[in-house]
Amino acid sequence: MKRRDFMLAAGTAAGALMLPRMSFGAEGTIDWYTSSDSNILDFWTNTVKPAFEAANPGITLNLVDAGDGAGVIAIGERAIAAKQTNTDPQADFFESGDALLPSGAIEAGVYTNIKEAGLSNYSKVNPLAIQSDYSLPYRGSQVLLAYDSAKLAAADAPKTWDDLVAWIKANPGQFVYNRPDKGGSGGNFVRRAIHQANGLDPAAFTVDNYTEEFGNEALTKAWALLSDIAPSLYDGGAYSSGNTQSIQLLAQGVVTMAPVWSDQVLQAIDQGVLPAETGLVQLTDLALAGGFTRSIVIENGTNRDAALKLADFILSEEIQGAILTELGGFPGVSWDYVSAELRERFADIVPLTIPTFPGGAWDAAINDGWYRNVAPNVDRAS
Amino acid sequence: MIDATDAAPRPLIDTTARRRPIGLLLVAVPVFLVAWLVIWPIISAILRTVWRPDANGTVGFNLSSYVFFFSDRYSLDNLSVTLWTTITCAALLLLICLPISLYLRFSKGRLPDYVQAMAIFPMFVPSIILSYAFIRVLGPNGMVDILLNSVGLPKIRTPYLTPWGPVIGLVWDNIPLTVLILLSGLGNVANQAIEAARDVGANKLQVLWHIILPRISNSVLVALSFAVLGIFSAFTLPYLLGPASPEMMGPFMQRTFREVNDPLNAITQAVITFGFCIVFGLFYVRSVAHNQGK
Repeated sequence: MKRRDFMLAAGTAAGALMLPRMSFGAEGTIDWYTSSDSNILDFWTNTVKPAFEAANPGITLNLVDAGDGAGVIAIGERAIAAKQTNTDPQADFFESGDALLPSGAIEAGVYTNIKEAGLSNYSKVNPLAIQSDYSLPYRGSQVLLAYDSAKLAAADAPKTWDDLVAWIKANPGQFVYNRPDKGGSGGNFVRRAIHQANGLDPAAFTVDNYTEEFGNEALTKAWALLSDIAPSLYDGGAYSSGNTQSIQLLAQGVVTMAPVWSDQVLQAIDQGVLPAETGLVQLTDLALAGGFTRSIVIENGTNRDAALKLADFILSEEIQGAILTELGGFPGVSWDYVSAELRERFADIVPLTIPTFPGGAWDAAINDGWYRNVAPNVDRAS
Repeated sequence: MIDATDAAPRPLIDTTARRRPIGLLLVAVPVFLVAWLVIWPIISAILRTVWRPDANGTVGFNLSSYVFFFSDRYSLDNLSVTLWTTITCAALLLLICLPISLYLRFSKGRLPDYVQAMAIFPMFVPSIILSYAFIRVLGPNGMVDILLNSVGLPKIRTPYLTPWGPVIGLVWDNIPLTVLILLSGLGNVANQAIEAARDVGANKLQVLWHIILPRISNSVLVALSFAVLGIFSAFTLPYLLGPASPEMMGPFMQRTFREVNDPLNAITQAVITFGFCIVFGLFYVRSVAHNQGK
């Protein structure tokens, strides 16, 4: 091809790509959006989509990555606007969303009331995870303690906070958690200490009950607990800078135990980053905090009914089992609806309770307070 | 000859006022960008921290965020660890790079080429990759530990998650720039001057002290101010390799802004960081001006 022809062809091709892509919500194609990480999109592409399309001939899934939470909210706002003008929102299903956002979506009738929608599997949903009738918790993730079973027998693994503290002190340098603002595994370990210091009552903390006075009182007690164990942590009080770095220290055999996200640790074991015999344990007096991912169906979407079929489908035993085995997440349904074999295999990490910790002003107070009160407490020059 | 120059349609360097607008136009774009993206944010940051509403809502001159910074033990610790890291890195850089540059300047053959390639290599390694490589090599139970262990030696005290972690990373990262600037400075040292000094009996140390160093002092200053400016506001390496506390100003500012949701104090920290950097910047400007004045 001559150079000039090539330039012309390339220019035309580039121009065609830049044309606005017109798309309309097509009947039979569910427009699906997510704000989750790429491992979730992979999971849907490789597992959920083929299974759902095979089970429902004529319906296809159009998987779209909305980027982040704000991206999904923007699509939600578009759906509200579409509702007002009676047009097509070009969206049917949010893989991850908050029914309260964008505010007014429920009142505008944009989000489907999933409880009333008559899903055959809805009764299986873990009641602890339900936050709203308009969103469907279908997968969860929780912070667990992962340990090197070559150094610590499963029978000796601590199962309560007090046991854990005793173990940390008896084995100095063998425990590490990451800075609370740099990753949820360390963050939720710190929040577990806050629960411990305040009567093990997650309900004591809500998104709008932060005041400076209450915050100081509640957090100061937790900082005392954490400062107490600091000298017995890895390197006399060092904190890794993220979830991955904690797993790295565990993988390099530097520490024996670290708090980890359930999905990350199961994936690390699956990929061989951590050995298969890595032990996992959850505290039984009060579990480390975690969270659920909730899906939303768009009421005024072209494929509302198909989207509800999809919502029902992801609660099936097949997909819920795959969430455990392939994604390393927690099922959104109660554990009774997970196959007996999987229940047995993951027995140690079955959460009896799923405590959560509110965000908002608490986040800032915890992130600032921990750095000021816990991190510098130890003289590490020696 | 004189006639020919006068008769030329346009002299090579045109100093007539007629052509000045084009020159000004050419520099206008970078000047505008610097003013818009650098100068204006600085002015706006300073204004926003000193002229703002107080607790009662009355807008006025208010230095309380600076008072807080300089009376807060935690912030001062972060500032002092940043200064310590910067000074340590600068000293180490000079100690490491000066011998490398001298070697490269005064030797010939293939080996110096390889040494130069090695010295420039860090320039092409992104700092996040450097950080993870550092953890794998110098981290606990890393490659060094494994090698030491295989010959029956005890493990090293790993610098990972201590203030020495960022120092090692930042020094390695800044070697290329420092070596290149020092090398260019050494290019100005005439071989004749050195040979003349040797002829009158100067030993190597005397040559270095009396002949070479005075000639490259400018380059040393430029190299150090470049390195210091980069190190003072470094983010990735201190974030991944340094301790949780005290933290360097880069991670501290980012955390105050994002995780503590406290833009006012984050901007205050930024203005104070800028204040320190401008001091180093002035060294650089002075040395450049000094050079051009010659």
